[in-house]
Amino acid sequence: MAEILAVRDVVKVFGSVRAVDGVSFAVRKGTITGLLGRNGAGKTTTIRMITGIFMPDSGGIEWRGDTAKGAHFRDHIGYLPEERGLYKQMKVIDHLLFLAEIKGRRAAVVRPQIDSWLERFELGAKRDAKIEELSKGNQQKVQLIGTLLHDPDLIILDEPQSGLDPVNMVLVRNLLLELKKEGRTILLSTHMMNEAERMADDIVLIDKGQVVLQGGLEDVRQSFGGNTLQIDFEGDGAFLAELPEVRKGNVITNTAELTLADGADPQRVLQAAMGRVRVRRFEVGTPSLEKIFIDRVGTETLAAEEAGR
Amino acid sequence: MNKFLAVFKREYIQLVRTKMFIIMTVLFPVLMAGLMLLPGLMMTQGLGEKRIVVLDATGRLHDAYTQNEKPPADGSRRGAGRNLPTKMNVEYVDRAGDKDLETSAKPYIARLSDRDKSRLVDGVLLVPADAVTNTDARLKYYSRSAADFIAEERLSSLTNRSVHRMRLEGRGLNADEVDKLMNDIRIDAVQLSKTGQQKKGGVANFLVGFVLTALLVMPSFIYGMQIMRGIIQEKTDRVVEVLVSSVTPSQLLVGKILGVAAVGLTQISVWLIMGGVLSGGALATTAALAGENVTQFLRLSTFVYFAIFFILAYLTYVCVYAIGGAICNSDREAQQLIAPISMIMLLPWFLLAGLITNPDSSLAVGFSLAPVFGPMTMFIRTLVADPPMSQIATTILVSIATIAVFFWITAKIFRVGILSYGKRPTIPELWRWIKVA
Repeated sequence: MAEILAVRDVVKVFGSVRAVDGVSFAVRKGTITGLLGRNGAGKTTTIRMITGIFMPDSGGIEWRGDTAKGAHFRDHIGYLPEERGLYKQMKVIDHLLFLAEIKGRRAAVVRPQIDSWLERFELGAKRDAKIEELSKGNQQKVQLIGTLLHDPDLIILDEPQSGLDPVNMVLVRNLLLELKKEGRTILLSTHMMNEAERMADDIVLIDKGQVVLQGGLEDVRQSFGGNTLQIDFEGDGAFLAELPEVRKGNVITNTAELTLADGADPQRVLQAAMGRVRVRRFEVGTPSLEKIFIDRVGTETLAAEEAGR
Repeated sequence: MNKFLAVFKREYIQLVRTKMFIIMTVLFPVLMAGLMLLPGLMMTQGLGEKRIVVLDATGRLHDAYTQNEKPPADGSRRGAGRNLPTKMNVEYVDRAGDKDLETSAKPYIARLSDRDKSRLVDGVLLVPADAVTNTDARLKYYSRSAADFIAEERLSSLTNRSVHRMRLEGRGLNADEVDKLMNDIRIDAVQLSKTGQQKKGGVANFLVGFVLTALLVMPSFIYGMQIMRGIIQEKTDRVVEVLVSSVTPSQLLVGKILGVAAVGLTQISVWLIMGGVLSGGALATTAALAGENVTQFLRLSTFVYFAIFFILAYLTYVCVYAIGGAICNSDREAQQLIAPISMIMLLPWFLLAGLITNPDSSLAVGFSLAPVFGPMTMFIRTLVADPPMSQIATTILVSIATIAVFFWITAKIFRVGILSYGKRPTIPELWRWIKVA
């Protein structure tokens, strides 16, 4: 699949802090890419360089393979910043028209689309209400509509689910999956690993301004956890630790925890086991993204972040 | 270009819809008209009727107080008293030859605080028996109000005119000759311009200069404040990030400043229309009282200069406010920062009296050619004097250059500042922002 956006070795320094320090990754068309990392890792700064709010100190952003300087493609991006906000005094309809207009759309063209979006988010009745009269959740929905109104090729969402209740969280998740189904490309920045796990095709894990891990979600998980097996069985399983596919084994009465050698096929182990013992449970360990995250970024930092939230 | 228009349109429509705009638009001319009408009204009507008792021990001054309401036959104005006409209802008491006027006055003085409204008086004037003959004689005036100087001056003037007249007649002059002797000469102020035109000047010059200058700068400060608040609002409401991911800071800045400028121009247009009826009438009233003709100021050049210098002044001041908004995080913080700066920018306003009366002094010329102060000062000068075209052109060029530099700096600071939520930057930090952006 073609890359719609490529970030090439961008660097951004604030004073003595290297907020983003040589980040490179690509976003494939029609996928959801999860930009992961704890708060302050450099996600928002990276996104601000993509959206043209900051100029990178070095490196560049490629849009459909075009490296032309400046944010010439900013009208093709829909951006929902982490710091969300709307003009409180404006009416919903006026505000959405304004957001479309600053993306270069004509009011007459987007007006019918606004109505259908409002219906989709069950906000039809609030069309002429002032923003300040809406609940916080509804304000977020309005802003999300504003992000999508101009029919962007790339949708960038910075922590779209923070501050949402579980119901709205599901609403947003389903919306993102729907958008993907419609063929749109999404760059999703989040520190909620389980959400990223449910949606992302590719992940980019950033810490201290640098990419520490990236690739397809499944590949990443495989590379981290495809090599552990858990087998519950009846019979004498001592032989399991001696199989050629197994690098390290730990067999205790009816349970075996095995670490496979590189490139070994878990199915071969299963066949071998089934020939000699009665297998009651066989599990190829795929560690959660959260586990990988902790493994890479460090337990203490994550714990500190949890406490801070 | 479309994006700039979107920002422009939003600023304009949102501002015009605010209550502040509507209140300001309606109230300001009323206030201005009131400010100008009030002195006029006070001059013609005074503050109601005054009831005065005059106890005259000379017994010869009856006519002085009872005939004074008649305008002089030749329409000329005599004596200061007639310029401050408090309506007076004089109760004349002939006490000819009374040696103990104070005692005789007691019952009248008591009436200063009489409960019976029909007997209540505002003042009691005692004219001693030797008023005409003794040059050291003194009048005595009892009144309820300590600051009733208008009535006091009027009574003094009326009494003195009659006394002077009697003294002169006492020297053997006949009444006609005395009239001629006592006739005041009026002064007509005439300003000669370089082109040889004659312009009448005087009080009205000052008044109109004052009003038009206020009209020139007030909106800039009010709307500058508006822009500053708007930017801070965008920061506190966190709207700004969406904005700068869609439009460039310059588009945002220019759209805002021009949008608000359009609001200001709308407001002034409304004022001018209302003013044509309201304050025009007020001006005419006041000026007519001062015996001047206002229409001399309503020349085309006045409007042209007003338009030019209004725009230049507005664009100069507004940048400072935009910077204030970009680097501050709360209205209060911004106002603290801006207040001293506005004071400096308003310097010509505080020197207004001096500038209007001496429009060609080196101070006025210096101010009118300086950046920031130029537009306001030069406008004042074009109003009351005839500065050379070369100086006007210099002011305009200096102002345009100032505005260009201000815009450039503002756009840079804006770019960095609007996304910084932390503490206010120091001057060196600001300098770094300008260099970085």
